[in-house]
Amino acid sequence: MSRPDLAGMDGLVGHLARFAGALRDSGVSVSLNDEADGLTALTLVDLGDRDEVRRALRTTLKIRPRDAARFEEIFGRMWRVGSTAAPDHPALRAPRLDRPPMRPKPVGGAPRPRRSETGVETAVPEGGEEPGYSPEAVLRRKPFEECGAADLLAMEQLLARLALRLATRRSRRRVPVRGRGETDLRRSFRRALAHGGEFLSLARRARPIERPRLVVLCDTSGSMDPHARFLLGFVLALRRVARGSEIFAFNTSLVRLTPWLRPGRVDLVLDRLAASVPDWSGGTRIGECLADFVAKYLDSTVDGKTVVLILSDGLDRGDVAPLAGAMRAIQARARRVYWLNPLAGDARYEPTARAMAAALPYLDRLLPAHNLESLARLLPLLAA
Amino acid sequence: MRAEIASLAEAMERLGYIADPAIATALFLAREMRRPLLIEGDAGVGKTEIAKVLARLESTELIRLQCYEGLDVSTSLYEWNYQRQMLRLRLAENEGPTRKTADEIEDLIFGRAYLLERPLLRAITRREGPPVLLIDEIDRADDGFEAFLLELLSDFQVTIPELGTIRAEHVPYVVLTSNRSREIGDALRRRCLYLYIEHPTLEKEVRILHARVPGASAHLAQEIGRFMQALRRRHLAKMPGVAETIDWAQALLHLHREHLDKETVAETLGCIVKDQNDIRELGGGELEAVLAEATG
Repeated sequence: MSRPDLAGMDGLVGHLARFAGALRDSGVSVSLNDEADGLTALTLVDLGDRDEVRRALRTTLKIRPRDAARFEEIFGRMWRVGSTAAPDHPALRAPRLDRPPMRPKPVGGAPRPRRSETGVETAVPEGGEEPGYSPEAVLRRKPFEECGAADLLAMEQLLARLALRLATRRSRRRVPVRGRGETDLRRSFRRALAHGGEFLSLARRARPIERPRLVVLCDTSGSMDPHARFLLGFVLALRRVARGSEIFAFNTSLVRLTPWLRPGRVDLVLDRLAASVPDWSGGTRIGECLADFVAKYLDSTVDGKTVVLILSDGLDRGDVAPLAGAMRAIQARARRVYWLNPLAGDARYEPTARAMAAALPYLDRLLPAHNLESLARLLPLLAA
Repeated sequence: MRAEIASLAEAMERLGYIADPAIATALFLAREMRRPLLIEGDAGVGKTEIAKVLARLESTELIRLQCYEGLDVSTSLYEWNYQRQMLRLRLAENEGPTRKTADEIEDLIFGRAYLLERPLLRAITRREGPPVLLIDEIDRADDGFEAFLLELLSDFQVTIPELGTIRAEHVPYVVLTSNRSREIGDALRRRCLYLYIEHPTLEKEVRILHARVPGASAHLAQEIGRFMQALRRRHLAKMPGVAETIDWAQALLHLHREHLDKETVAETLGCIVKDQNDIRELGGGELEAVLAEATG
C-alpha cells in the first residue's frame, strides 16, 4: 500500500493518530493499518464536510455497529469543522499526551503475540509459594471460597492442562487422511500419475476434529464474588484452546470482556477486568443483562457451532419474564446452553431461586461449578 | 461533499439503487483505494444489491461466490476435469508405438483445457477488464476459508501446483457481504473497507419504493413505508428488510389494493413476516396497532 503524500499533512496525521489512540483507549480496536487507510481516505474526501469525514473514517477504521456509539462520541469530541487546521487547540488534545502518536507495532495485521506468553510459562510463583507442595488432588476438590491467591496460580496451570482436553466435534470440511475415509479424486489422480496412470491406491479424505466456539456469560455480582475469579480463570484457560471465544460479564449491566483479555497472568488480567467492569461485586439483574446480550451480541457471537456457558448462582430478585425470553432466544440459536452454578455443588441444592427456575426449561444442563473437579467434568460436554 | 460522491449516488439512483451518503462514500472509497468492501447488515437491507449495481456502473461482469459451511478450494477456486483427464490418459495409452513418458502425459492433462475455473479463479483471470467479485454471506464459510480468502485478497494471485502461479489480469472489484451470523475475523475485516447498512429511514424507504415499484401510488408507498417502520419498532425475531418491503408492494399491486386495511394486511402478512413466533406475537391486536400507526 502506498502512503499518501504526507507533506503539509503533518497536522492531519498527528490528529488522526491521537483520534485512533483515543478510540483504542476506549476499547475500540484500531490498527496502524486502519490509520493508514483512514489517512488515505481523508485525502480523497472533502475535509470541510464533517459528516463526510465521519463517514470516511467509519468505513476505513472498520467501526462495527457495537463500537459505533463510542466512535460517534469520540468523533464528536475530537473533530470539529476545520479542526485539522488547528490541531493544537486544547479541545482537540487527546487525553494521553505521553504516548508517541504511532507506536512501533508490527504492521500488516500480524497476530498479537498471544501464545508465546501463555500462563503456564509466566505464572511462576515467587518466594516460598511453590505450588508443588499442594497436592493436585486436594486442589481439585478444594471449594473456590477457600482458595487463596497462591492456589489461584497453581490452579491456573491445572486449568491450562485441563483445557487442552477440551472435547471436539467433526468439521464439515474434508482433509486428507490415511486409511478410512471417502475417496479423494484430486489426490488419487495425482498419485496415479506417478505410476503411469494406474490407480494402485486411492487417496482418502475425511472430516477432521473441530474445537467448539464458546460464549461465556459470567455473573460478577457480590454473591458470586468467591467464585467469579476462578470461573473466569477457567474461561481464560479455555480461551487458549477454543479460538474465537467471547466472554461477557454481567451484574447490573452487561460488559463485553473479550477486548480486555490480553496475554499474561490470570490474576493480573482479572484485576484489570475488575477495574473495568462497572459495579463489580454489586447486585444482579440477570434478566435485563441477558436480554441486552440477545439484542446486541447474539447474532454475531452465537451460531450453530457455539456452546453458551452461563456462570451464575441465579440469585436475582428482578423480573423473570425478560430472563425467560432471553434464554429462549439463546437456546434457539446455540448448539448447547449450560448453566454453571456454584451452589449446585451442594447435594441439597434445588434450583428453586426464581431466576434459576425460570431459566431451567431452556437449559441443556444445569451443572455444579464449586471446585476444579466439577469444571473438569464439564469439558467433555463442550463438544457435541 | 465531494462532487464525485454525489454523482456516484446519483448514478446508483438511476440504476434503481437509493444510496444514502454513507453507502456512496464507502463505495467511492473502495473504488478509489481499490480495496475490497465488506458490507454487514441485517438480511434484506440491500447488501448484495450494491455489488450488482457496481457491476452495472462499471459495465462489467458480476462473478458471484455464494459461501456455505464446508466451502473449499475445489468449489471456490478450481477443480480438474477428472473425467476428461482420464479419457485423455486412456487415449494416450492406445496411441501405439510412440509411448509417451510420464512427464509428457502430465503436461498434456494438466493444461488449462482440463481446468474447471470456479468463481474466484474466473474473477482473476478475466481478460476484458476487472469484473466485480461478489463473495456473498462470507459469515457462512468457516475460518479456514476466510484465511485462504485473506491470502487471495492480499496478492490477487493463486498457485495451482500443477500449473504454477496465476496472477490477476486485472484486480477485480471485490464486495463481501455478511449477515453477521458469526463475527468476521479481524485480519479479513482489516484487509477490507467496512460498511454497515442500517434499516432505511422512512424517507429512504419511500424513495426506494418509488424507484423499484413505480406502479405503486405515492399514497400507498407512504403507507407501506410507515407500516414497515412501525413494524421494525416491534421486537421481532426476523426483522423484515427492504427486500420484503418491495415484495410486499408488488404483491399489493397484483392484488389491486390501493391502501392498507386490516384484511389486506392479514392476507399478505406472509410477504413481510416470515417467522412463526413473530406472526403469533403480532396476532393479539398488535398488528392493528401497527396498522393504526401507519394509516393514522
